Amino acid sequence: MGKQAMGNIAYNQLRRMDTLLYLLVYPQRPLLTTKTIELVGYDKLGAGQNATVAVMSYSGYDIADAIVMNKSSLDRGFGRCIVMKRYSVVLQKYENDTQDRILRLDRKGYGAKHMRILDDDGMASPWEIISPQDIYINKQSPAFTRGTRVPPSELPNIRYKSSKQTFKGPEGEYCVVDRVALYNDRHNNISIKFLIRHTRRPEVGDKFSSRHGQKGVCGTIIQQEDFPFSERGICPDLIMNPHGFPSRMTVGKMIELLGGKAGVSCGRFHYGSAFGEPSGHADTVEAMSEILVNKGFSYIGKDFLYSGITGCPLQAYIFMGPIYYQKLKHMVLDKMHARADGPRVLLTRQPTEGRARNGGLRVGEMERDCLIAYGASMLIFERLMISSDPFEVQVCRICGLLGYYNHHLKTGICSSCKKRDGMSTMKLPYACKLLIQELQSMNIVPRLKLAEA
Amino acid sequence: MDGGMSYQRFPKVKIREMKDDMVKFELRETDASVANALRRVMIAEVPTVAIDLVEIEVNSSVLNDEFIAHRLGLIPLTSDRAMSMRFSRDCDACDGDGQCEFCSVEFHLRAKCLTDQTLDVTSKDLYSSDHTVVPVEFSDPNDPGEQRGIIIVKLRRGQELRLRAIARKGIGKDHAKWSPAATVTFMYEPMIRINEDLMDTLSLEEKRTWIESSPTKVFDLDPVTQQVVVVEPELYTYDDEVIKKADAMGKSGLVEIEAKEDSFIFTVESTGAIKASQLVLNAIEILKQKLDAVRLSDDTVEADDQFGELGAHLRGG
Repeated sequence: MGKQAMGNIAYNQLRRMDTLLYLLVYPQRPLLTTKTIELVGYDKLGAGQNATVAVMSYSGYDIADAIVMNKSSLDRGFGRCIVMKRYSVVLQKYENDTQDRILRLDRKGYGAKHMRILDDDGMASPWEIISPQDIYINKQSPAFTRGTRVPPSELPNIRYKSSKQTFKGPEGEYCVVDRVALYNDRHNNISIKFLIRHTRRPEVGDKFSSRHGQKGVCGTIIQQEDFPFSERGICPDLIMNPHGFPSRMTVGKMIELLGGKAGVSCGRFHYGSAFGEPSGHADTVEAMSEILVNKGFSYIGKDFLYSGITGCPLQAYIFMGPIYYQKLKHMVLDKMHARADGPRVLLTRQPTEGRARNGGLRVGEMERDCLIAYGASMLIFERLMISSDPFEVQVCRICGLLGYYNHHLKTGICSSCKKRDGMSTMKLPYACKLLIQELQSMNIVPRLKLAEA
Repeated sequence: MDGGMSYQRFPKVKIREMKDDMVKFELRETDASVANALRRVMIAEVPTVAIDLVEIEVNSSVLNDEFIAHRLGLIPLTSDRAMSMRFSRDCDACDGDGQCEFCSVEFHLRAKCLTDQTLDVTSKDLYSSDHTVVPVEFSDPNDPGEQRGIIIVKLRRGQELRLRAIARKGIGKDHAKWSPAATVTFMYEPMIRINEDLMDTLSLEEKRTWIESSPTKVFDLDPVTQQVVVVEPELYTYDDEVIKKADAMGKSGLVEIEAKEDSFIFTVESTGAIKASQLVLNAIEILKQKLDAVRLSDDTVEADDQFGELGAHLRGG
């Protein structure tokens, strides 16, 4: 439906080769629609599921727009999705008439355990379970791709370097090679596309939304027996905090709940436009209340619930009914990230940035200000220097410039004074040393004045 | 019991309605904690057998392997034997790999569509190695002769599905597929007292509108005496509608409704894995085992100082 919601993409969704495709395992048609949705055909392709929502507070893991989900609902397929990701490989032709090649797999020897899923043609075969670090194509590229043309007779003798592709998926997850497609690209190179499939069930941190822009992440997942239940045996699929309503004024969501509840009770899809429609197609809140009362519910859609933990009745009537919920494509699995040690940037020797580069988490200006205000000076020292880019320099006490360490003489030497004595060793961030040298290259001389500590 | 007061009560059960897949009973002379414990055990801890491992040989259907495996897992299997079966994790016959006769049941499915008509692969196509553990049979109430299975996948011409599945014992706490309960719920029995004196002050029309105000048909007008009578107290959903209506009519206290704190009306519906009545009995059995575990553990003996009377009570005072 929306751009971020998962569901059915098109009727040919399983024949496609999109770079990234999110599908819902059990999409449903919304219980409450509008005439416009029907005319446009929006309900022909499901984009969510009708979840029974209880508007109440539960466990504290539902504050700030978080939702509490029922584990049994998740077991039964609520919010389950399929993520398909495409990986392409092109067998490049080069200007010296050489070409990339695919090698048969190496069943023994070094690296064989990561070649398990390769077929005899050196490509991963469909339906194989693929785990991180597995090779999905055993490709080689010529060592020299430029210069004079290699005559065809010489081609088998040229040197190749390995350029096999390894799968970098989520660790400990169950991914499957769904499909492999071979084709020629527009430069007439042979290309291979691998579609890798991963089925996911919702987890804490996954994002969900109703159709009223009321988005929220899953705050916790709770067993069904701990969930509230009504004397009819209805148990919600998810619990939403009532604080989401007053400031956002999403009256439509409440109408949807009421209309959805009336809809499931009488077995008819209802129209839920807020003001009715000139044609009189829309169902009014009064009509929905009427149906609810006829089916033995309260006219305001509230139910008398019992606590699943104690078995005692809850102190208030709970507004409960079906609301169409969409799973959005932002999932923790794609975003979670942590680093202990890892790669550094060549220029500054500081940790890299971003999840894709296994980067560090930056203690920024504001965080630094907090630490200053708190007075945690050693912590600032550790975060900004020791854990970042510590560097040892030789400083000349006479001229205040940076010198170097001579490993033969085992002493520091000042290259401007040409003297050995008067050198001090000190630690400073590599970025600082870089700044000093860059300034020097611009004819500005920063001098360090050292004092006894 | 060494002189202390006993908290022991003797709950009474009265069965109202009993069918294979549904039981309705009253539980009296106990409190919410016991009723709720029973409910929770029925949902989460009564064991059943469900498909837990699927090995797919051929799958050229439109649904992918995980999808089919998930659907297979959710098919209820007859599990009358489940209570006496072993959990695969503590089965000594197979060192926990869960593939022996004591802790698992093997299923086979082979289906191929050879005609132009769509072939429905249903739970009836699953062949079990053990006749006591088979997919639950459902019949159409309008046509009891015909048995319908649960659809797993639909195949078109040329598509094929071939797999081997292993069913294991488990409990609903681990995965909802092992839960034998479709619905387990209870309600407090309502006590409805009509203030007849005040009711007599109402006109017939007022009585009618008051009766109408309840969303469920709890009250009715006696055709002979023209008096308001309680016809079905249990239909009352604690919605307070009649009380609010009485207040609005200026007749506060027209009716008094209380929940009886010690009587519960249970509704238990089973998925078909075990009979609903058996589900209740198994739940009581498991609850007893759990209490025995508490009673027999050394911790409770040591905790006597801390809990005193309660500790002794737990160990069967």
